[in-house]
Amino acid sequence: MQLDVTRKLGRRPTPRPLPQPPPPPPPPPRGLAGPAPFPLPQGRTGPATGHRVLLAPSLRVILRGLKAPPKARPGNPEQVFQARPLLAQQHVLGDRNLEGKQASEPLLVTALRTWMEKSLAQPRREVVEETGSPWQSLDTYSYTRYHPMEEIYQWMIQISEKYAGVATQHFLGMTYETRPMYYLKISQPSDNPKKIIWMDCGIHAREWIAPAFCQWFVKEILQNYKDNPRIGRFLRNLDFYVLPVLNIDGYIYTWTTDRLWRKSRSSHNNGTCFGTDLNRNFNVSWCSIGASKNCQDITFCGSGPVSEPETKAVSSFVESKKESIVCFLTMHSYGQLILTPYGYTKNKSSNHEELIQVGQKAANALKKKHGTNYRVGSSADILYATSGSSRDWARDIGIPFSYTFELRDNGTYGFILPAAQIQATCEETMEAVLSVLDDVYEKYWNSDSADKVTPATVVLGLLVSLVSIF
Amino acid sequence: MPPAASTPPAPRPGVPRPAALLLALALSLAVPGLRAAGPGPGPGSPGVPGAPPPGLLRQAARAALHFLNFRAGSPSGLRVLAAVLRGRAAVDARRTCRVDLEFTAERYGPEVADGRLGRCSARVVFRHQKPRPAVNVTCTRFMETSRRRREDFLLYKRAKRLRAPLGATSIPDSHGWIDPSLRPIWDLALLGSSYVMWERTTQTLQYYMAQLSSVNQWKTNEDAIDFDYTVLLHEFSTQEIIPCRIHLVWYPGKPLKVKYHCQELHTAQEGSGTEEGSAVAPTQPNNF
Repeated sequence: MQLDVTRKLGRRPTPRPLPQPPPPPPPPPRGLAGPAPFPLPQGRTGPATGHRVLLAPSLRVILRGLKAPPKARPGNPEQVFQARPLLAQQHVLGDRNLEGKQASEPLLVTALRTWMEKSLAQPRREVVEETGSPWQSLDTYSYTRYHPMEEIYQWMIQISEKYAGVATQHFLGMTYETRPMYYLKISQPSDNPKKIIWMDCGIHAREWIAPAFCQWFVKEILQNYKDNPRIGRFLRNLDFYVLPVLNIDGYIYTWTTDRLWRKSRSSHNNGTCFGTDLNRNFNVSWCSIGASKNCQDITFCGSGPVSEPETKAVSSFVESKKESIVCFLTMHSYGQLILTPYGYTKNKSSNHEELIQVGQKAANALKKKHGTNYRVGSSADILYATSGSSRDWARDIGIPFSYTFELRDNGTYGFILPAAQIQATCEETMEAVLSVLDDVYEKYWNSDSADKVTPATVVLGLLVSLVSIF
Repeated sequence: MPPAASTPPAPRPGVPRPAALLLALALSLAVPGLRAAGPGPGPGSPGVPGAPPPGLLRQAARAALHFLNFRAGSPSGLRVLAAVLRGRAAVDARRTCRVDLEFTAERYGPEVADGRLGRCSARVVFRHQKPRPAVNVTCTRFMETSRRRREDFLLYKRAKRLRAPLGATSIPDSHGWIDPSLRPIWDLALLGSSYVMWERTTQTLQYYMAQLSSVNQWKTNEDAIDFDYTVLLHEFSTQEIIPCRIHLVWYPGKPLKVKYHCQELHTAQEGSGTEEGSAVAPTQPNNF
């Protein structure tokens, strides 16, 4: 199920009990002659309008033969290129090409052609790692285990199928290694305009607990919005946009090759150096401090602001929705911190006090769950200087509540947090995020205002009006 | 933590309004409800006048604990920082930074959740951005000495019986799993790494042991455990992973003997060091 990797001295899996045999594949979906070798996209609706049948039989045969060819790029012999998810996305891609522009060649064909050209040109290598079954059902999906990317792709499709009225999967862009990036939109259809909560996980590949939390978060919202009034009320006025894995190429690399990899897998200096630190690549005081122009460094800021396709995908999308986004949460590990802007300066954002207050309340809520201590402060104050971070960029384009969460632990296991701690970590983090959402919700939709007015707020209100008189 | 909010946001930031500020201050003192939620500023917090730079006290505490862990030579008695209580720092003309502090520590090990805290006081002297801080530290015991010695001896006996997996390995594995039978290896690896991490800690560089990546030698036929391994250290402020080869010789109750060599990824500076405990019997020849 997992590959244990070492940095320098080759690979040898640690002996582990064998995983359960995978459940048998489900019956083939409607519209296909036989079982497809890859997870199918969520169709728009039934077979009449859906795009489930993507391929001519001859093409399918070709693809089956090339099912999951690991692809070696020059200088990167151990990269595994997963073909399957690429093919599963035709329905949302329409006829845009990889840059998102209208193209004469359907995107699927472009992607297929690119992939086939590249994979056929490279020698095949063994995929050393066996991932879990791609056909498990959502009922048996374990939120207390770490999942490889293939399973996360599968999970997203299944989520959008099971919760079809409320959860939809959307294409965001392509990674450097041409894998599709998807986010889940959780939204209850209604007439009133919604504000948006954005959450992304896994911008740094080795921080596995973060994508695990994104999945947990989605599950909690969807399983509870009907019965839990606290969560249910969020969906009246808020949409959740959740990107479970931002740095997909890097994440896969931590499964196949180097568990402690952090950056993306973009190639630089003629294929001699790999990876940009995506959280140094955003267009905010780019590469001014706490980042490196040297590709060999782990905080390499890229060849320019937003030089990486992953950063570009997130930036463009978030920018396009910025008027509606009230909360931008980016999940990392480790350190047990709730960080406010900024990293690139010690100056504080205009709403710094409020951000600290909301953050501290969230840390208190988190601590109530399992006793875990989180510290709250600006990145420059309690972490270290950084520039080009997504959180700082989000704040500076006007998104008011912008936080970085650094999840468990404090260094005991660091990035390699035991799976046994996933549940507790997710439960306590959920409390923190819900606390932030409560505050955000009450700020913009001051419902139940009867108990909102307290003596403190009355005096504060007087004070503000007095101050404005002077 | 930033200081408690005592003034509401002014309509035009940056314009001083003494009358308004005085009024606000008076009101805020009279109305406790205006204070920001949460605990007040802690030691080393930003914005508190005269406080050491944020993070410096924690750095000093960590350096002190690495040093203490190494000196104690007890893999069952490893300590980690719980919280800084108070401290102050003084910098002299040569930019040598002397930190005096008090902090609490707890026993290392996620399985040990007894919540017992030991109290420590330390003086740590950082030469300007140079490693190997001078440390003077004392901590109250969180475990009786006899119990700790017993646990060390039990660990020693398990280690003697253990046939360690030689060669490339991943402890823990990618999912954070450490087989209980291999736990002595992990604890000893951390003990040896404590020496390395102490030596390398500066005012800004902060180390954790991320993963054991190979067991080069595990000799238990003599009295002492002779353990040669490679570990991946994580340096927090640069986020870099640094492979270090460490060779230690350990016998319960005796000072730890350790040699190491760390690889710097692409800068010129490589680091190595050695510490001999005089009470330990002469060892086999070191070959790196």
